[in-house]
Amino acid sequence: MKREPLILDIKGNSLDDGPGIRTVIFFKGCPLSCVWCQNPESKKADVEISFDEKECIGCDTCLEVCPEGALSRDNPFFIDRERCSLCFDCAENCPALALTVVGREMSHDEIVATVLKDKPFYDTSGGGVTLSGGEPTMFMDFTALLLRELKSRGIHTLLETCGLFNLNRFEEALYPYLDMIYYDLKLHDPDEHVRFCGAQNDKIIENFIELHRMSAEGGIPLLARVPLIPGITDRESNLVAIANLLRTQGVQTVQLLSYNPLWHEKERKIGVENPLSLQEPMTRWIDADKIERSKDIFRREKIEVV
Amino acid sequence: MPKKSSTNTLVHILLLLMAANFRFRASLRKYLMGAQGWINFSVGFRTETGSVEKAIVFQDGTIEVKSTIPDNVSVTLIFRSDDGVKKMLKVPPNEVLNMLMKNSLRLEGNLAYVQIFNFFISLLLDKKHRKMMEKDRQKELEMRQETASSIDPKIRKEMDTRKKSRLSGERVDPGVRYLDDPYLARYGLDDFPRLKEFVDIHLDTKPEICHERPKLLTDWFLKHGFEIDENGNKWSPELRQGEAFKYLMEKRRPIIRDNDLIAGTTTEKEIGVVIYPDAHGTMIWGELKSAPHRFLNPYDISDETAHILHHYVFPYWTKRNFREWVREHYGNPLSQAMDERFAVYFLWKSVALSHTIPDFPKLLRLGTKQIIGEIDGELKTNGADNEKRNTLRAMMLCLEGINAYAQNLANQALDEAERETDPLRKLELERLSEICQKVPETPAETLDEAVNAVWIVWVALHMENTNAGLSIGRLDQWFQPYFEADMAKITTDDERQLYIERAIELIGCFYMRCTDHLPLVPDIGNYLFGGSSSDQVITLGGVKPDGEDAVNDMTYIFLKVTEILGIRDPNVNARYNPDKNSETYLKRLCEVNYITAATPSLHNDKVVMESLEQFNYPPEDLRDWAATGCVEPTLCGKHIGHTNCMMMNMVAALEMALNNGLHPLMNWDVGPKTGSIEEGDFETFDEFFDAFSTQFKFLIDKSVELNNMLGEAHAVLRPTPLLSSLIEGSIAKGKDVTRGGAKYNSSGSACIGLADVTDSLMVIKKLVYDEEKVSFKELKEAIDTNFAENPALHAVVTKRVPLFGSDSEEAPEIANSVAKFAHDSYWNHRNFRGGRYTTGFWSMSNHVAFGTLSGALPSGRLAGKAFTPGLTPEANASKNLLDNIRDVARLKPENMNNNIAFNVKVVPAPGDTHEEIVDHIYSYAKTYFDLGGMQMQFNVVTSDMLKDAMANPENYKNLLVRISGYNAYFVTLNREMQMELIERAEYGI
Repeated sequence: MKREPLILDIKGNSLDDGPGIRTVIFFKGCPLSCVWCQNPESKKADVEISFDEKECIGCDTCLEVCPEGALSRDNPFFIDRERCSLCFDCAENCPALALTVVGREMSHDEIVATVLKDKPFYDTSGGGVTLSGGEPTMFMDFTALLLRELKSRGIHTLLETCGLFNLNRFEEALYPYLDMIYYDLKLHDPDEHVRFCGAQNDKIIENFIELHRMSAEGGIPLLARVPLIPGITDRESNLVAIANLLRTQGVQTVQLLSYNPLWHEKERKIGVENPLSLQEPMTRWIDADKIERSKDIFRREKIEVV
Repeated sequence: MPKKSSTNTLVHILLLLMAANFRFRASLRKYLMGAQGWINFSVGFRTETGSVEKAIVFQDGTIEVKSTIPDNVSVTLIFRSDDGVKKMLKVPPNEVLNMLMKNSLRLEGNLAYVQIFNFFISLLLDKKHRKMMEKDRQKELEMRQETASSIDPKIRKEMDTRKKSRLSGERVDPGVRYLDDPYLARYGLDDFPRLKEFVDIHLDTKPEICHERPKLLTDWFLKHGFEIDENGNKWSPELRQGEAFKYLMEKRRPIIRDNDLIAGTTTEKEIGVVIYPDAHGTMIWGELKSAPHRFLNPYDISDETAHILHHYVFPYWTKRNFREWVREHYGNPLSQAMDERFAVYFLWKSVALSHTIPDFPKLLRLGTKQIIGEIDGELKTNGADNEKRNTLRAMMLCLEGINAYAQNLANQALDEAERETDPLRKLELERLSEICQKVPETPAETLDEAVNAVWIVWVALHMENTNAGLSIGRLDQWFQPYFEADMAKITTDDERQLYIERAIELIGCFYMRCTDHLPLVPDIGNYLFGGSSSDQVITLGGVKPDGEDAVNDMTYIFLKVTEILGIRDPNVNARYNPDKNSETYLKRLCEVNYITAATPSLHNDKVVMESLEQFNYPPEDLRDWAATGCVEPTLCGKHIGHTNCMMMNMVAALEMALNNGLHPLMNWDVGPKTGSIEEGDFETFDEFFDAFSTQFKFLIDKSVELNNMLGEAHAVLRPTPLLSSLIEGSIAKGKDVTRGGAKYNSSGSACIGLADVTDSLMVIKKLVYDEEKVSFKELKEAIDTNFAENPALHAVVTKRVPLFGSDSEEAPEIANSVAKFAHDSYWNHRNFRGGRYTTGFWSMSNHVAFGTLSGALPSGRLAGKAFTPGLTPEANASKNLLDNIRDVARLKPENMNNNIAFNVKVVPAPGDTHEEIVDHIYSYAKTYFDLGGMQMQFNVVTSDMLKDAMANPENYKNLLVRISGYNAYFVTLNREMQMELIERAEYGI
């Protein structure tokens, strides 16, 4: 896509998104629409408005300034997003920052200046910058330029991706400027993938196979990651299928991501109520036994779980 | 004549009751008589309004209640209102302390007499007080239980699992000659049963007040006089102290703890609380009955000890202590009255002038005998001047006293050896006897001699001087030659391994010996300095005087001991020199921090030395610095820096600037008139900053004035000839260190609340002046009402103004301006000994105490809430720890020459390996130092762990936390401090 992405957040001091201490840039917009998405505000590429009930002090300033009359305490989500024109007068005037703009434009220079601040930490720890979101590959040109800027400053770059992109374009624009890729594999069965993630997975799997082959031949390292979502991805049939895929491709390591229930709050803030979030297993952290059993499935295929 | 209230009558009746009880009940009457005569004093009670005025007079066994307070009253309790009086009559003693701190009650006069009065009350109301205290205890426990509702009990295992896997290191440091794995990964506490036993004793033993020292000294002074000697001549204070000290050392009981490898103890108790009646000893008088039952840090006290202290010791010292000397000599100076209201500053000299490091290398190298010889030589050349003669003579007496004590220990060891049936122990005792015959009188030659010599002298130093902040220095440097000498005689690898184990065990025993004493903390201290022990700092690593890498075998042995024992004191600090010390060493420091959760604290060697450039110290002296007390730099063996002479509340200056010289809590118009916000006196931000600076300077000037008066008091009441004999300069000048005999002299402050002040100034600058979003008047109104009526403004103030620690451009600039002003103001003063004042930004736990005594601030901080520790940014300054680190690193060292404390709480993620966690801590520390940061200390615990510990302390007896410069066991802290630690920004690693 040629357009400029909105940036959700630039999060420093991240220890879970690649080696060392890293800064993660979260892009807004994703080609998938997974029902369990841990960053639901990143699904849509357009700007959104968020309301955090916990921060609200009840001063009613927003009610006074809203030109559309879109705000009401009778509304469980507070904002009537059909009426809201996204003028953001409310957010600008909210003293408590309970109403906030989700996604903002940032120039390359701005982004680079921000992430450069922590370069001393990247250098000491072997860290760098991680692109995530959302899906950075939705904005090939922008991302390509950003990566080039980062590389020219000697910063280690890592991409977290769902894998749904044009591989040729990817190889040409991004591949030369990446040091590492974290590649999500969610559901193996094509129908399940459409049902739970909103798109087909054939290209995702193809891209994975090719990128892994390139990595095995000396290209950039690739790490397969499987999110463990209770009742959906953590079903034995799915994990076995993914493990098989990895084994047949000669993949030797995988990372399993534990489910965490904190995304419910985030969905509420952007006005989405997802029936899935009310199901019992989705309301708590995944338990240790389940994680172990999931790991065993991969270990049985001689795949190391890191 | 103000109208008297019904409360006045109530007080009268109660005082009459008290008088009657003491007059007619023999069991109480006996307390009126001291060993040297009747205990005579009077206590006045009044309210500010005059609605209450009464006095009770104890004179020669009679007790009279009066309706006016006599002019010569010993002490007066002044209440803000009748309600305060009624409250005091109903609540347990520690609640009265709270009233005192919160200024609803203040005292005028000699504080020792309030103590006696409290003691008498406690005798009368013992049962009632106990019930109240029990009720309070239950309430406290319940409140604490509430905070830990659904914590996963698995976290209790967390600390144990950290110890299980340990990293190995490589031998890369040039000074490491014998340790193949300097991290000594193969050893855990279980490999040293003796040390394990000592740690258990340490955690399970209740401290007990010991009367040996004050009794022996009082014996001597009664016989030989204090001001005047037996012949009617004025005593030279130095000579008097020297003679008394020698007597004490000769007469005190030589004890060797069961199974110990080191001989000698600080007191007669397993863990003894030492009493210094010339300092603050009499502050425990009021608690002689209640100390065992108080909620925080109770002390056992035997009936015999209580009796001796009340009848015999304390009456002798009611006027002979630093605080009262100043009061009497300087006629109730304003600066002292300000100190006694708790809210603006706290001067430590009323307790101690201890922060220094004696010249241990000289002692080990020469032995006391040769030092005596040196002094003798000086006497022959310098003997003409009387004061010099007396000072030098006093030093000799002290060293002779040490020799006598060592000899007694030698005899004791031999006695015990003869009776000992276990052959191994018998050998150990025989060896101890040999050692004590030899050291510290003659030079040490082996490691066990060196360690024992240091310990004996350490005990002696505490017999002379308060056990608060006296620090042990660079033991890794000073013990290494003896370690190497021992090693040189060993030929096989097996024997070397065994020797290394013995060295670990010996140093472990040394650490555990250091835990045998605690400073006296009256209950009010539990709220001001919660959990603090003696803060005996050992400083490791760094560079040698010649500038080369100092890390050696002993450095790593000390780190191993620190790791496996995990105790709060000795307070271990580490110097890391980015140019000279290895990453291997820094990584090990980070690993020990992870395993112990809180120690050692880390110093950027280069930057600390840079901060002291203004002094122009010769490089070889400067490079030999070590930390004293908490974190402050002192040059070893030649410098009296009294680096903790005062805790200064910078927020008080801010509050006074906001209120035109009035301090709100104290309700006292004590400061200069600098302008009124209500009258629109501040047209620009700079004008307000000037007002703040003026108030701050006023507080600094007053605190310095008081400190200098107290410095004089020390020189008169308690010179320290022993310490002087071990500090370079003193012998040559023939001058005690209290009079400035040391080669280098300075005094150090701790300025508290830098982040809170900076954040507040930022709010004023940005919202009131730059962006004109709110008027100063409106902001002031909100502050005065604790933001209760303006939640919108509170939200704006807390969320829309960049804080210190959020990586803004301006906040560090303002912080630097404040720090610079503090530094420059202090720099212009001289102390009693002629030295300069240094400025530090750490806080012990006073950030909590001062916080409870301060109102709401422009930063949005609400009334009574703790300030941030040291100069740590506010918890919500940024979600990114790295912003904090970068901002702190931008502070200029030249304004912070008494060091800083930057607290970082980090939380290991469940999936991370031991090595990953250590690497992460290492990355923070290394980068921070690369960016020019000065000091950093970690708490590697989770909020959940702390909450569980709050509710279930019995499972967390040894959970260590770093407050702001010192370590404490979390479970010994008061609730406010515990909450402050829990709330401190938690950054997941």
